Amino acid sequence: MTMAQVWVFREWLQRNLNTVIPVAGFIVLILGLRIANPYFLTSWDSLITLIYGTSWFLIAACGLTLVILMGSFDFSVPSVLKLSAMIFAILYPSLGFSSILVSVAVGLIFGFINGTLLARFNIPSFMATLATSMMAEGLAQVISGGYTRIITDPAFRAISTTMILGLPSIFYWAILIWAACLFLTFMTPFGRAIYAVGGNIVGARLAGINVKMVRTAVFMICALLASIAGVLYASQIQGAHMQVGVLDMIPLFASVVVGGTALTGGVGGIHRTLLGVLIIRWLDSGLSMLAIDLNVRMIIFGAIAITMAILTIDRRRIKIMK
Amino acid sequence: MSTTNSILEVRNISKTFDRVVKALDNVSIEIRRNEIISVVGENGAGKSTLMKILVGIYQPDSGEMYYLGRRIPFPKSPLDALRKGISIVYQERGVIPHLKVYQFLFLGLEEKFTKLGRLQLGKIIGLTQSIFEELGIKCDLASSMYELPPSVQKMVEIARAILSVKLMVEGDGESEVTPIIILDEPTAPLSTEERDALFNYLLNLKKSNSFIFVSHIIPEVMKFSDRIYVLRDGKVVAHHDLSSEKVTEDQLFREIVGRESYYSLWARYVYGVGKAEGKRVVLSVRNLTKKGYFENISFDLHEGECIGFFGPAGCGKSEIARALYGEIFADHGEIIMDGKHVKLKSEPYARIKIGIGYFSGETGKELFLFWPIRKNLSLVNFEKVCKKPLKIISVISFNAERALAEKIMKKLRIRAPSTETECYSLSGGNKQKVSVGKWLEKSPRVLILEDPTIGIDVGAREEIYEVLLEMKGNGIAMILASDDPKEYAILCDKIISLKNGVVQAIYTNEEFRRLMGL
Repeated sequence: MTMAQVWVFREWLQRNLNTVIPVAGFIVLILGLRIANPYFLTSWDSLITLIYGTSWFLIAACGLTLVILMGSFDFSVPSVLKLSAMIFAILYPSLGFSSILVSVAVGLIFGFINGTLLARFNIPSFMATLATSMMAEGLAQVISGGYTRIITDPAFRAISTTMILGLPSIFYWAILIWAACLFLTFMTPFGRAIYAVGGNIVGARLAGINVKMVRTAVFMICALLASIAGVLYASQIQGAHMQVGVLDMIPLFASVVVGGTALTGGVGGIHRTLLGVLIIRWLDSGLSMLAIDLNVRMIIFGAIAITMAILTIDRRRIKIMK
Repeated sequence: MSTTNSILEVRNISKTFDRVVKALDNVSIEIRRNEIISVVGENGAGKSTLMKILVGIYQPDSGEMYYLGRRIPFPKSPLDALRKGISIVYQERGVIPHLKVYQFLFLGLEEKFTKLGRLQLGKIIGLTQSIFEELGIKCDLASSMYELPPSVQKMVEIARAILSVKLMVEGDGESEVTPIIILDEPTAPLSTEERDALFNYLLNLKKSNSFIFVSHIIPEVMKFSDRIYVLRDGKVVAHHDLSSEKVTEDQLFREIVGRESYYSLWARYVYGVGKAEGKRVVLSVRNLTKKGYFENISFDLHEGECIGFFGPAGCGKSEIARALYGEIFADHGEIIMDGKHVKLKSEPYARIKIGIGYFSGETGKELFLFWPIRKNLSLVNFEKVCKKPLKIISVISFNAERALAEKIMKKLRIRAPSTETECYSLSGGNKQKVSVGKWLEKSPRVLILEDPTIGIDVGAREEIYEVLLEMKGNGIAMILASDDPKEYAILCDKIISLKNGVVQAIYTNEEFRRLMGL
């Protein structure tokens, strides 16, 4: 290669760092896990196991991506997920599938509170959602009494585990929701508004975007997706317990930034989160198959999250997250 | 070239960015003791690059630097430049609003005034007092920076630059150092009177300092400089010593843009003025008040009419413009659009719906710099690029978006490789054209303009005016708040003069021009 070619390549690399890192990371990850563990992804069953581990996570990560794109943050995703799973499992014996409506409604209320705290009362979303996550956490503890709920009804399980074309239905739910979010962000004025608010909030307001409405709506969508993820997860594990979602905040956050969505907002997208989720969840499964301790895995994810946040953040527009 | 008076000289500087863009091409300039030199040129002529090399932010590809006749290396960083006696006052964001005046003046210099780890506050305040007395800055030392008028803020910034040089410079200890202060468009945020105050201040400081004055405002450059360097396309195309030669504004202008002056073209703009009489009233405002900003503003705006609010900075003109658009809210009064009352606290999105638009020339305020031109142009025009497969769902058609962008780019002669070019890479003038282009397409009933041509070169200005006048001709009513009297003369039918938020007088275009000597 001549000097000019090297230079052009470097330039290209710099501009596409947000894409190159996740793609390269994913390939390296698969190869690495394959070498370290000869049983990784060798059978159809192992693929299905990975899908079970990834699908509900993707749904929740899609919601978080929307919030981060808007330049905000939502700490309450895992707690709302847990609360929804818990409500579903507790109410299922008496209400049947109508209990899903209750779960989702409670999720939406939390989203509305988060959005309102930010949009109307100007409380930074970091703080507001940290507080509401505590509320969701406490509520889950109160309604369950801390006990694990187990539902043995096969119908309860069927919504996530019915096999269609050799893959469980939760896979299709996740892909459907992911595609819907993709459509929402790229093809609709509302999606443009999300990017606009994340990219330049003053400009967004002046361009006639109803910033308060967008903020509230996005937090509600995020909480809605967290609830759906919770319901499907409860169905998948046949019940709910207080450990659901406990250590999921950092991996969720990591999967969004690993995909290349910048913490500063306005840069990245739902399409990137798919790859981020695959990397984080498969790395998690791979490491646990290698019998690496959960706490060590958390250290790894924390480090990955911070590293990627540094690499993807838009240095030209650093500001305090709202 | 080298006279005994010369302090700093750079020779044959060249700088290329990305191996393609030649920002500076063999530029040589010289700064002598106790003088104000001006570096003028259009945006993109290389002024800022040259200044950034002088203060060590960029390194040149080639060239030499001489200090008092001795060859020295180029500064490696702004701190290094400071040690060599060069400091810069930037155009904006130089001030830290919540620091007290004396805290700001000594910012970054505290360690020179620390004893046993404790800041010698008394000494600092005393010094501040004597410095301000010496330089003739009048202000309350205990006030915060943001409380000072913009011109005084600028003066304090300049004082700070001089002080930093004096404290940091590595002199030989014997000869007196003359600080070289670079002023990057210092007058941009100031009104006419404040500009004069600032320049009198500079003329006073000239006795012990030298200034490099970067600007594109020709009259002030002519009035206050000793020598002028004209940059165009990265080259020094002219050098005038005003003490020995006579230069006219028009001549300087031609050297800057390389073509005819818009002052001579100006006459043909006036055609659009004064034709709004008898047209329908679009917007009525009655007794609009926002405490501390403006009081009892009332006017009727007709179709195709432009009303300008004129006055010094802080007179309330920008706040009136913003309150009409809902960026800020007025306290009481009435805004009536097409006979219907507009809620004073309604947000911009509600005002766009009833046909009010707002265009600010401030870069990056309403433009999404990291978006392609296409997305910026369709942002207020979604209804033109969306399909509705279902009643509640709008889907953006990328083809329609691209077609819209191409149409506007062609019409406004926006020079960019494609509709996908990100806006930050455009020149100032082209950025502004993108901003105004979306409103051209939207065609609101009332368009509010705040500094529509600030910071862009004369050629682009002309093109923006043409667009605005075309919109006006189509019956769009406008409100203007700006700094440039010529802009009012070109665009406005009626000019409302303000002082401290109160209406002083109302002029017709003709009266205004006579008053301003245009």
